[in-house]
Amino acid sequence: MAAVVTQDTGRELRRIVRINEEIKSVVATAFKINLMAMNAIFLAKRAGQTALGFGVLSNELRRFAMDLQKQMTALREMTYGSVATVTALVKQARLNRVLERARKESSGLGRSIIDEFMRSRHGQAYARHREQIAALNRRLSQMIADTAQLVELGSVLARSAKIEAAYGGPFSTSLMQVSSDFERTIGEIQRSLESLTKQQD
Amino acid sequence: MKTARVIYEESGHKWIALVRDPNRPEYLIDTNEYMVIDGDDAILLDPGGNEIFPAVFSALSAEFDPRKINKLFASHQDPDVISSLSLWLEFNPQIKCHISWLWTSFVPHFGGNQDTFIPIPDGGADLMVGGQRLQTIPAHYLHSSGNFHVYDPKAKILFSGDVGAALLPPGDESLFVEDFDRHIRHAEGFHRRWMGSERAKRDWCNRVSQLDIQMMCPQHGSIYRGEQVRRFIDWFAQLEVGLVKG
Repeated sequence: MAAVVTQDTGRELRRIVRINEEIKSVVATAFKINLMAMNAIFLAKRAGQTALGFGVLSNELRRFAMDLQKQMTALREMTYGSVATVTALVKQARLNRVLERARKESSGLGRSIIDEFMRSRHGQAYARHREQIAALNRRLSQMIADTAQLVELGSVLARSAKIEAAYGGPFSTSLMQVSSDFERTIGEIQRSLESLTKQQD
Repeated sequence: MKTARVIYEESGHKWIALVRDPNRPEYLIDTNEYMVIDGDDAILLDPGGNEIFPAVFSALSAEFDPRKINKLFASHQDPDVISSLSLWLEFNPQIKCHISWLWTSFVPHFGGNQDTFIPIPDGGADLMVGGQRLQTIPAHYLHSSGNFHVYDPKAKILFSGDVGAALLPPGDESLFVEDFDRHIRHAEGFHRRWMGSERAKRDWCNRVSQLDIQMMCPQHGSIYRGEQVRRFIDWFAQLEVGLVKG
């Protein structure tokens, strides 16, 4: 049993590491969108009247990037919580292994003390940690789903910016270029989130 | 499984050595653990590492109810001395660990919290076990920078941690030193390398020379008895220590 637990917890830790790496990539992309949106705001200002709609959308995209960063920070905090729980489970598994050996080596009073101990506190602690991990995973899945919705909004904003760019007069080509960059970058985030969802399955 | 050997017993006061585990993997250094019992109270001296907990626990249970152990003493911070702390705490979360003040924020990495540790000041302190007072004897820098031994004036036994330790060859299972000259060869390299300070060594030799010691019990190797204790102190006093090559 201890070996199975160790295997499970090892897998769980590797999964958390993969999720963290994906989160880091989304955070970096969100930062990029923030900078892109600031540039887009300046560009819209230079374009003046013809790019008023584009300017509004750029502001919204910047807000989107900041919301996304906040969301990813919360996700990262949650995965740190998972690491703490999985670590407790690893510790528990190690303890189980040593106690199992102590049980085998003991007889009489020693054995009955360990039997009693393992029946009561030990099994409960293990079950509690498993339940904590399951609860954390459920919350993580929910948060990833919420983030996916937020990114969908970003995607809609990028598409609208592309339409607005068409009305940008002499700045139309530059605005089109910027809005295409938005669309491509948000697409990267969507792929990262899909990957995160797969890690949860 | 280790063997529990009673090395002293008089009117409810007892010393038990937990020694020699034939199932111990070779990559783990062999250790001795000692339990001092006085009436219904007991202290475990250098309870050992995590990996040997099963052997210590099972041997100890044969002599004493392990749930009644509410005190541990750690001569210093090494993993072979005290990394089993978290396991002892599982059985008794109220257990107290007496250790040099220097290590009270390091050893919690093995387990325990602010309530677990009772810091021993540099000059040493007394430990009460039942009605018997034990003395902690400063042995700093031998080898750890915050290091204590334990002297029991009733039993006239000195628990000497790594001082007196010998790395015995496989098959040498003797509980007591049989032939001092042969035994000390297995201690020489260890003491030259692990004991880092000439001054600390001289201080320790002077300090323990003033004690009436019938048995000197190290954490590794065999126990010195009677005249062998004096011979060891004299041998150690003249040994050049703090050398990379023995």
